[in-house]
This record gives sequence, structure tokens and C-alpha cells, in this order.
Amino acid sequence: MAELMNRDEFRTALENAIKGKSANASPFSIAWAEGKLSREHLARWAENHYHYVGPFADYLGYLYARTPDSYTEAKDFLLANMYEEEIGGDRHTDLLIRFAEACGTTRERVVDPDNMSPTTRGLQSWCYAVAMREDPIVAVAGLVVGLESQVPSIYRKQTPTLREKYGFTDEEVEFFDLHIVSDEIHGERGYQIVLEHANTVELQQRCLKICEIGAQMRLLYTTALYNDYVQKEISLPELGLAA
Amino acid sequence: MPIVVFHKGGQTYTEEVKENTNLVVRAGIKQFPYPHLRYECGMGKCAKCACRVLAGAEHLPPVNWKEKKQLGDRIEQGYRLACQLWLNSDIELVQDQE
Repeated sequence: MAELMNRDEFRTALENAIKGKSANASPFSIAWAEGKLSREHLARWAENHYHYVGPFADYLGYLYARTPDSYTEAKDFLLANMYEEEIGGDRHTDLLIRFAEACGTTRERVVDPDNMSPTTRGLQSWCYAVAMREDPIVAVAGLVVGLESQVPSIYRKQTPTLREKYGFTDEEVEFFDLHIVSDEIHGERGYQIVLEHANTVELQQRCLKICEIGAQMRLLYTTALYNDYVQKEISLPELGLAA
Repeated sequence: MPIVVFHKGGQTYTEEVKENTNLVVRAGIKQFPYPHLRYECGMGKCAKCACRVLAGAEHLPPVNWKEKKQLGDRIEQGYRLACQLWLNSDIELVQDQE
């Protein structure tokens, strides 16, 4: 029988729930980290990634509207995240498109939803469903803690690789650089909301569960990128994985 | 754990922070040095978080490309972008009034 956790215990439990199915374990992420992907592979990644992260402010917008008025600070945090994602500095998706263009694709191809894989469409749909239907605190746990807060640790590993192994310039990889800072702020805000408002055993357990599901969804997404775009050229044994 | 001494508008604010702390991330969740640290984009583009380092600069990582681009000549005067710094040792910094 689960018991109500204090803030420190609950935070550790959330972090463990996310780690369990980290997307870093997917063949696509391993190939990326080892410098084995081509620019064409990275272009396909960008064309998919746009449709997952592009609507992030939309997801948060639905969530903002459904968060009770009495949760003033939580609402302010969500609003700040939306502002920073879109108009606080450069629009994040514009930086993603800059990277995509450096990989040889075009803005038109990136924004065209016909170029995302069915699995990416599934991840995007899951994000919308969570934002629209889940308890708002559980939704913050899933989208902000479970997904967004993972980003700095992923990009901290990937960004030096993009410069050193793939030869991209600082400007070309700015999308990754900025997320190390801004998603750390966003993720922390998410943690603050969840730690403050998940104040029953049931809510805490639902938050943990959705973090696990979010991590699974991200792993599914990156695994599909490998299956759809990379597998024919780089086999699993070449990545040190069982076929 | 690092001790941060932050000067602004003639006032001094001091607090111990965790290892690997970014002051803009802290301010973003309304913790010290909130509400005194001015920042905006959190991505090294606006330079609103620029601070002059008075002590502890030798423990910071080298100035990165964003800081070079945003700060230019001010780097020689000791300015850094707080949003680009993860602190692991004591530091004293001052932020100019707008």
C-alpha cells in the first residue's frame, strides 16, 4: 500500500520513474551519440521532432485553461513556460528549423505534417490528450516533468557530439544549446507545481505513472526513428545491440 | 556548497546554493536571487542577466560563444551571462541597475 511521500521522497520517486525508460537507451540515441548518423538521418529527426515539440505551448495552453484559478503560481509558471518557448527570445522551433536546414532539408519539409512518422503522430496525439483530459497536476507531471525536464540531460550529451563528430557550427546547433538552459527552468517549474499540488497518495501515484508512460512514449518515438530511417543502413549489432 | 554573494542597487544578498546551480534557473522558480536578478530569455540572447564577477571568476568555465556574441568588450571588464553559468564554487557578482 503506497503512502504519502514528503517532497524530497516524491521528487526522488519522480526522477526514478523517468530514468527507468530513458530515451538515451534507444538505438537512434546510441547511433547519434556515437556519431554514426548521417545528416540525412538528422534531417528526418528534425522533420519529426518539429511535430512533437512544436506544439508544446499549445499543450500547455490547454493545460493552463484547465488549471484552477486558485493555483495562481502554477498558472504563472505555465504561462512563463509558454512565453519563453515562443517569444521570450528566438522562437524555439525557428532554431530547430535552422538545424534542419543545416542538415539539408527545408523549412517547407519540416513544417509539413505529412513528413512525420505514424509514431511521431502518436506521441503528439498523446501529448494533446494528456493536456486536454488528465487532471492538470498529473498532466504537468507527464508533459513537463516526464518529457520536458529530460531534455537538458539529453542535449548536454548530444550537443558536443554535434559540434565535434558531425562538424556543425555553434549557430547551427543553438536549438540544443538553449534547451540546456530554458528546459532546465521549465522542468524545475514543473517539479515545483507537482511537488506542491500532488498532495494525496492517489495523485502522487498517478503522477509517477504518467512519468513512466511519458518516458515510454519518448523511447517509442526514438526507437521508431531508428526503425523508419536508420535501420537499413546501420544494423543493431553495429551499435553494440542485440538484433 | 557554493556561497553566492549578489550585489544590486547598493544592496547585498547572500545565500548558499546547491552544486551545479544556475542562478537564472533559480530565479525562474522564484528562489534566490529572485526577485533581484534581472533576466529574460534564459537562452543567452538578450543579455539582461549580465553580471560583473567580483570574485571567483577563476573557477568559472571559459566564456562561451553566446557570451562572446552578447557581451563583446564587456568580457574584459569581467561581465558574464548568468544564464550560461553553472556554479560549483563561491562567487561574488554585481548586476548593474537598468
